[in-house]
Amino acid sequence: MSLMKKLLDLDQRIIYALMFIALAFPILNPVVLPMDIQEYSRVSFEFADSIPAGSVVLIEGGLGAATYPQGGPGLEVQIVHLLGKGVKIVFFSIGTETAAWTVTAIDNALAAMPSGVAAEDGVNWVHLGYVPGGESGVAAFANDIRSVKSEDHYGTPIAQIPLLANINKASDFTAVFWWGGSEGSIPYGIRQIVTPFGVPMTGMCTTNEVPNYTPYINSGQLHGILGGVRGSAEYEYLMDMPGLALGQAMATNFGGLLWAFLVVLGNILYFIARKEEGDN
Amino acid sequence: MSDRLIKMQIPIILTAIIGLIMIIEFFFPMPTAVTNLNVTLRSFVTIVSAAALILGTIVLTIYHGKKVGTKGSEWYYSIVYIIAFVVTAGLGVTNVRDTTFLWIYNNMTSPIGAALYSLTAFYITSAAYRVLRARNWNAAVLLVCALIVLLMLIPIGAILFPPVVPIGTWIRNIPSGAGFRGMIIGTSLGIIGLGVRVFSGRQKEHMGIREERRQE
Repeated sequence: MSLMKKLLDLDQRIIYALMFIALAFPILNPVVLPMDIQEYSRVSFEFADSIPAGSVVLIEGGLGAATYPQGGPGLEVQIVHLLGKGVKIVFFSIGTETAAWTVTAIDNALAAMPSGVAAEDGVNWVHLGYVPGGESGVAAFANDIRSVKSEDHYGTPIAQIPLLANINKASDFTAVFWWGGSEGSIPYGIRQIVTPFGVPMTGMCTTNEVPNYTPYINSGQLHGILGGVRGSAEYEYLMDMPGLALGQAMATNFGGLLWAFLVVLGNILYFIARKEEGDN
Repeated sequence: MSDRLIKMQIPIILTAIIGLIMIIEFFFPMPTAVTNLNVTLRSFVTIVSAAALILGTIVLTIYHGKKVGTKGSEWYYSIVYIIAFVVTAGLGVTNVRDTTFLWIYNNMTSPIGAALYSLTAFYITSAAYRVLRARNWNAAVLLVCALIVLLMLIPIGAILFPPVVPIGTWIRNIPSGAGFRGMIIGTSLGIIGLGVRVFSGRQKEHMGIREERRQE
């Protein structure tokens, strides 16, 4: 078998090994390379940054075990960002697993919170936990929170939560942040909150889902979007809080470049092999 | 009352009335009584969904319980499910703030989920090396677009190859955006059509009744 043929039929284990090295090396040896901030991420960050102190915002925590490594660091930084600005947050999730992961994000954000920032449970933030029913559940929640939730995620009755004293429907929020991960649920927020109540919204999804939401961004229904681990890394970068996402984004540099190199190499070899076959 | 009336006509009429009330409220201001009715109906959805979740868990547990009892094929996996279910659910019901419950999530669910998801990077790279080739003009366009968008998306891409940003943004916003917009509009029209069929009783699957075959 010629070298050309061997390279064209490269053992997939070699490709796996190369990809493993490309991804693991920058994580084990962190090097922060220059990074360009994407327009969608900048718009999303500026949207969060423009929320005035004292406002109450809604965050849908839709990150699960598979997507938390991508979006989790960004969500944690956003919680620090908003609470640090004096913005109050109401969390909820449309998945049982994601509700638990939202707890992780809140706990990590509170641990990273600069001293002196007010971040009291029930006063500055509240996690309402799982809201069942998918999009219909979101509609019910948006129209009357008390009709679907009688207590928060930790069992505290809503009547005893000061933050919710004057909050009962979507129009009571200044903005919505939909951390949809790979749920594909961002349109739920657009259809059930943005359109009927006129509350502005931004979101986060996995990188591959960003094109799905481009029409909503172009139409102004979505104020930018944070895409995947890069979106989280950009949030960390803009907040000057380098963390896990920035390290992982560097890994995607090497992984992405390896992918591009292999695809180009595969095509060059393919054309050479085809030319040789033609000559013969 | 006839069986057909109870099993088919009343559910269809109820579906149509409730569906129309929901739709009308979305477009027009309605009296408080109608709004309150809608709030109640929407809360029914969350209750039914939560109940379905419990029902699903019970059915799954019974299935695995029976499998262990009869020592069916690969019954030992069912023991793993039962132990995992009892431990996690027990701790979760006791206290969601319990550190052991969170430990299970943070140290077991997270690595497994993340590992499974990250495997796609390896599979996609291997598949792209073998399949993503410019065999014809269509494949060449796909290949070039994929490379441009990938380089745009990786953080260092814009620094190494600055032109990929405007070209990649154009690809994402114009051709890709137009495609997705068409898909969204098409899906929405399909949902409207399905709604009309359900309200008019032509679609009966949601009642567990298969559509009758047209006689040829």
